[in-house]
Amino acid sequence: MPENSSSGPAVEVNKLSFAYGRQRVLDGLSLEVPSGISFGLLGPNGAGKTTLIRLLVGLLKARAGTILTLGRKPSPKIAHLIGYMPQLPSLYAELSVIQNAEFFARIYRLRERKQRAQRVEEVIKLVDLWEDRNKSVANLSGGMKQRASLACAIVHNPPLLFLDEPTVGLDPELRVTFWEYFSALTRQGATLIISSHTMDDAAHCDRLAFMRDGRVIALGSPDELRQAAGRAKATLEDAFLHFVRREEKKDVG
Amino acid sequence: MSASILTIASRIINQLIRDRRTLILIVVVPLVIASLVGVSVPDKRILDYTAPAILAVLILFFGFLLTGISFLRERSQGTLERLMASPVSRLDIVGGYLLGFLLFAVLQTMVLFFYLIYVLNVNFYGDLWQILVFQVLIGIGAVCMGTFFSVLAKNEFQMVQFIPMIIVPQMFLCGLLWPVEQMPEYLQWLANVLPMTYGVSGIRALMLQGQNLLDIGKEVGVLAAYAVGLLILAAVTLRRGTG
Repeated sequence: MPENSSSGPAVEVNKLSFAYGRQRVLDGLSLEVPSGISFGLLGPNGAGKTTLIRLLVGLLKARAGTILTLGRKPSPKIAHLIGYMPQLPSLYAELSVIQNAEFFARIYRLRERKQRAQRVEEVIKLVDLWEDRNKSVANLSGGMKQRASLACAIVHNPPLLFLDEPTVGLDPELRVTFWEYFSALTRQGATLIISSHTMDDAAHCDRLAFMRDGRVIALGSPDELRQAAGRAKATLEDAFLHFVRREEKKDVG
Repeated sequence: MSASILTIASRIINQLIRDRRTLILIVVVPLVIASLVGVSVPDKRILDYTAPAILAVLILFFGFLLTGISFLRERSQGTLERLMASPVSRLDIVGGYLLGFLLFAVLQTMVLFFYLIYVLNVNFYGDLWQILVFQVLIGIGAVCMGTFFSVLAKNEFQMVQFIPMIIVPQMFLCGLLWPVEQMPEYLQWLANVLPMTYGVSGIRALMLQGQNLLDIGKEVGVLAAYAVGLLILAAVTLRRGTG
C-alpha cells in the first residue's frame, strides 16, 4: 500500500458549500474521516453525496469552505494516492477486463512491468473475474462491470478510496461479496469512503454520516446512531428518520 | 514525452484494433471516395488537381469525426471523469489522443497515397515523407478541433451535426472543387482564414509541383499556428473541475 502522506484524518471537510449555478447542493458541510476505516455517506438521492465525493477527489472546486484529503488540498499531485470508483462502471467497453485494469495501472504509475502484471492479476482475481479477463467489457453483465470497475479503482493500491454507490444494481449475493472486498481493504489499512442510499450498506460501515439537503444531519458509528434514535431495537432506517424529523423541527423552529 | 501520453495513445490504438469494423471503414472508405472521383472525373488533369486535396480533406474529416466521437464517449461513459481524477494532466490526455489518432492518420494517408499513385495513376513529383509530415500537421489541427467541439456536443447525433457546420464549408471553400481565386472576393476572404485552404494549397505544392516543406513555409506556418491554438483550446476546455 502506498504510504499515506498524512498520519492524521484521511479527510477533513470544514464548512463546505457548493452550488451548480443557483442550485445549492452542499450547505456548510463539515466532517472528519479517520484513517483506516470504512466511512459511509448515507442519504437519499439529491442529498449531495456524489457532489461531495467529486469535490473530495478534485473533480469539482469548492465555492466556500476547506477540504483536506490526506492532509492536502485535492489536486493532481495526490491523485496517485486516491482510488475513485464512479457511479457508472466507467470502463472502456471495447477493451477487455485485463486491458482496462492494465491501462489504469499504467495511468496510476505502476511503471515496472512485472510488478504491474502481478498486481493486475491480483485485483482481477480478487473481484473473481480471472476466467473472464479477456472478455470485452461490453459483453459483461452489470454486476461483472461493477466488479471490473472496482478492480480498476484499487489496482494501484491506494490508501484512500472513494466508492460512489458501488453496490447499486447488484444482487444480494454480489453485494455481500463486495462488502467482503471492502472489509479486506480496510484490514490492509485503506480508508474507504462509500456513498449509498440503502441502509443495508450502512450497517457494514465503521462510521456513518447521514446526509440530507447538502448537510450532515448525524455522524457516528451504526450503533451510536441506532441508540440515538431512542428506541430499543431501532434500525438504521429508524435512526435516519429520527434525525430527519429532528432537522425538520429545527427548520420549523 | 510523458509515459501517460504513450499509455493513452496505446489504449486508443488497442480500442481501434479491437473495433475491427471501424478500422476497416477508416481504410476502405477513403479508397471508395478516391475511386468514385477517379472514375467520374473525365479529364486526367482534373484528377491530378483533385487527388492531393482529397488526401488533405479526408484527414481533416476522419480526424475530426473520430476524435470528436471518441471524446464524447469518454464523457458519456464516465471514463474521462475517471481519467481526470487520476494523476494525468489535461495535456497528457489531448497528447495521447493526438499520438493515437495520428498513427491512424499516417496509415490512412499511406494507403490512400499508394492507391492514388499506383491504381488511379495520379501524377506525383514530391517526397512521400514530406507529404506525411504535412498530413500530420493537418491531422493535429483536426484532432484538436474534434476534441474541442466534443465539449459542445451532448451526444453523437449533435457531434455529427458539426460536420455540415465545420467540415463541409471548409471542403467547399478550400479549393478542392474549384480554385479559391475564382470565388467571389468575400468567399476568398473567408477561405483565407480557414486552415484547410492552406492544407490543400500546401499538399498540391508538395505533390504536383515537387516543392518541399521549406518552399511552402506560409502553409506550414499557418497550419502549425492553428494546431498550437487548437491544442491549447482543447486542453483548456478539458477541465478537471466540471462544475
